[in-house]
Amino acid sequence: MASTSLLFPSVEWLQAVREVFNTSEQYRGTGSGRCDCLVGLKVDNELFRVDFEGFGCESVKEASQADLDEADFYIEMPSDEWKAMLDNIRTNGHAVGEYTINTLDLGREEGIAHSTHGDQYRQDLFVRYNQTMQFFFDASSRVATTYERA
Amino acid sequence: MAKQTTDTVSATKIGETPKQVVHPEPQYRWMNQSREWGTRVLPGEKGLTLDSLNVGIYGEIPQRWDDQGRNPRGAIPVKGALPIGYSVTSKTELWAPSAAQLYEEAIQRRWAPATDVPWSTVQPLPDDVETAICQVCTEISQYANTDIEVITSWQHRMSYGYHEVKQFLATASLDAARRYEALRKRALINGGGLGLEPMGQVNRVLLESRGGWTETVSALALIRGLFLVTMCEYLLRHAYNEAERVIYSYVIQDVSRLVNYGLDHLQYSIAHDDERLNAITTMVAIGVAMHNRDLRDPVLREALAIVFGGGVAGARKEGMSIFFDFMDDFRKRHLELRRWLKLPADPASLPLGYRPRDAK
Amino acid sequence: MKAVKAEENSVELDLSWMDQHGSWNTRAEPGKYGLTLADIEVGDYGDAPIESDNLTGRARGSKPRPESMRLGAYTVRSKSDIWVENASFLYEEALQRQWSSATDVPWNTIEPLPDEIEQAQCQMCTFLTEVEFVAGDVPARWISSTTPDFFEARQVLLAQVMDESRHMDVFRKRALANGGGLMRATGATAGFVGGIDLSRDFTEMSARLHISGEGAVLTIFRMGELMAYNDAEKTIYRLCAQDEARHVAFGVMHLRYMSQQAPERREEIHCYLDEAEVGMLSDAANPAARIPQTSESLCILLGGGKDKFDEGHNKLIAIRRRQLREYRKRVIAAGFGERFENGRSRLSDLLEQAAA
Repeated sequence: MASTSLLFPSVEWLQAVREVFNTSEQYRGTGSGRCDCLVGLKVDNELFRVDFEGFGCESVKEASQADLDEADFYIEMPSDEWKAMLDNIRTNGHAVGEYTINTLDLGREEGIAHSTHGDQYRQDLFVRYNQTMQFFFDASSRVATTYERA
Repeated sequence: MAKQTTDTVSATKIGETPKQVVHPEPQYRWMNQSREWGTRVLPGEKGLTLDSLNVGIYGEIPQRWDDQGRNPRGAIPVKGALPIGYSVTSKTELWAPSAAQLYEEAIQRRWAPATDVPWSTVQPLPDDVETAICQVCTEISQYANTDIEVITSWQHRMSYGYHEVKQFLATASLDAARRYEALRKRALINGGGLGLEPMGQVNRVLLESRGGWTETVSALALIRGLFLVTMCEYLLRHAYNEAERVIYSYVIQDVSRLVNYGLDHLQYSIAHDDERLNAITTMVAIGVAMHNRDLRDPVLREALAIVFGGGVAGARKEGMSIFFDFMDDFRKRHLELRRWLKLPADPASLPLGYRPRDAK
Repeated sequence: MKAVKAEENSVELDLSWMDQHGSWNTRAEPGKYGLTLADIEVGDYGDAPIESDNLTGRARGSKPRPESMRLGAYTVRSKSDIWVENASFLYEEALQRQWSSATDVPWNTIEPLPDEIEQAQCQMCTFLTEVEFVAGDVPARWISSTTPDFFEARQVLLAQVMDESRHMDVFRKRALANGGGLMRATGATAGFVGGIDLSRDFTEMSARLHISGEGAVLTIFRMGELMAYNDAEKTIYRLCAQDEARHVAFGVMHLRYMSQQAPERREEIHCYLDEAEVGMLSDAANPAARIPQTSESLCILLGGGKDKFDEGHNKLIAIRRRQLREYRKRVIAAGFGERFENGRSRLSDLLEQAAA
């Protein structure tokens, strides 16, 4: 685990998660597999894009609204709910109970996975690749995280 | 229905204001309805396997399953449902005691041609060798196509009570899909392409024996399956790169499972139905005659000889000699399995071209 | 024996077949995901015909033999009847994401449960064991009737048959793993006219199976985490959901292709969707519908017991709404969204009734 805490949300934090995800065998387990999709993340007003290609995460970047339009789907939660999910992952090593991204999505009338294009085929990638997405966020358990800007 | 309570939940339409909902009074008529409650199957060394579930009434596999719906074996059935139209309803028509184990084995030994074959090991080959390999790939690919069409044309006709067989056949048809794919990929990766369509008389036997699954299985196991496994064993020995070795190894494993199912089923069927032996004997005789017609065509024989001999020049001597060794091995195995099943196995009864060279 | 020897000794190579082949000089290149089906769509080997005249079962791109017999008897020979643009991709994804119900489910996490919970779980498992293989039986039948010129679409369906087989066995395993057993079947997939089994057209079948049927079950599988009582059940539902989403994707993409390539069939497809909507809250094949056997089981599982039935019922209503919303979006994605604008769809009424 990195000794210096990285700020969530930030490209640096996502980059660290990406490295853990791409290099750890435990995230290649049952339910994983090839995954090609562009995922947006929305934390309050901050936007990021995460590119999955093949069996790993290709890149993470800051995003514009245009990037979000391009994403197959984007995951949107207020920052305090992101924090609750990441704390749960940190405590347990992976998401448990109501903090898996699947359950977080189901627990809301409109879900947490959205798209601006409205194409349910592309939005369904959230389900088709759900375990891969979950593994990605579970990898954050090994990244020291702070939510306070220095 | 009596209404018990009301509650408020969020919108019934997107964006609408919440409305009150009415909770029904539950009846629980479905509760306590089980033919055998208290079953607890624990996972063993191989995990929780399909065959391990066959305990108590759940392991009672009846001689006939006339139910025309999808009642799971051991559940309380629905009576009077509209029929789906299953036609293979007798245990002797499809059962193999090993089906559940073969099912689990197939899943454990799954592979993906895209990523499990080291494609980068395929290097340019002389034109005559590449042409021959591509012809062999075309043949095996079309065999796989027939396997797919044969198996899938039977699955929906088999009664739900024999789910282990239906499930094993699901793995067998996906195995065939992988064969179809892997051999096509090999043909298209190295400057060659697909060759000439095969003769297809055995394909015809498999497709036109659709009057009975056991009859189809006779040809699938004793002729097509055994022939393909033996051929791939020889191709494995004479492979030109690691990619081909991997492909042939997987094909041998996959097809051997199908042959195993077939033999297990034929043995079961012969043991439990007096009339089966004659029908299977006739079917195998027809299959052999048709296979012999296929073998009279020079294409596969010459392609294999070129592969085994390292080119056209080598095919005339060593290559053809290896081909005949392969054919001998196949025919001997074929006769051995006939004997094991107590089918007539006198080599003299075979067409001339079908007898092993040292047959007495 | 002498004749065989003679054959061996008189071998002369014909070799004329070496000049009879498909396009030569084809060299497919593996990409970063290995050598995929998409990678071998090179030259004319990649061209699936609009109408297939292949009745002998030959591999697409191989050289036909004039003397070949017409063994195929294929009824699906028009590309628009079965094609999906992303078939290669869906098939490779399916192979990569295969799993084993014997070894990939942590069965030892299952602990004894209160009887009412175990019974509800076993009733749901009985239902799922019963219905899951409709999606094995039926696609298999269509595979055998489809020309190999459309093999990419067939490969996806073959992977689906395997997926459904695994679903059928994993729910049987769960029913028998914890002191319960199978309960009463529902007859949900009997041979109804207008049902999935007896459809006479692939697209009719796909609209019912992939869009409305599996779409509804997908929502149930996703909700699995809310009604799972151990990691084994969570794993089962999560993995089944991924599989089911692929099947739904096939249906959406097929309808989309068909609507673009065969617009003359659009009205006919609307009729299938009309029928599907009628059954959404009443059809026994949807476990979240109003059939007591399954809906009461779900309420117990979602609420956490008989004494929390109403709480479970609230969640069930949320599931129904979600099913309907996702169905709507998928139909729009498939290119048939006008039915929600022109008053043809009954979905608004159904959303209203979902709370009943």
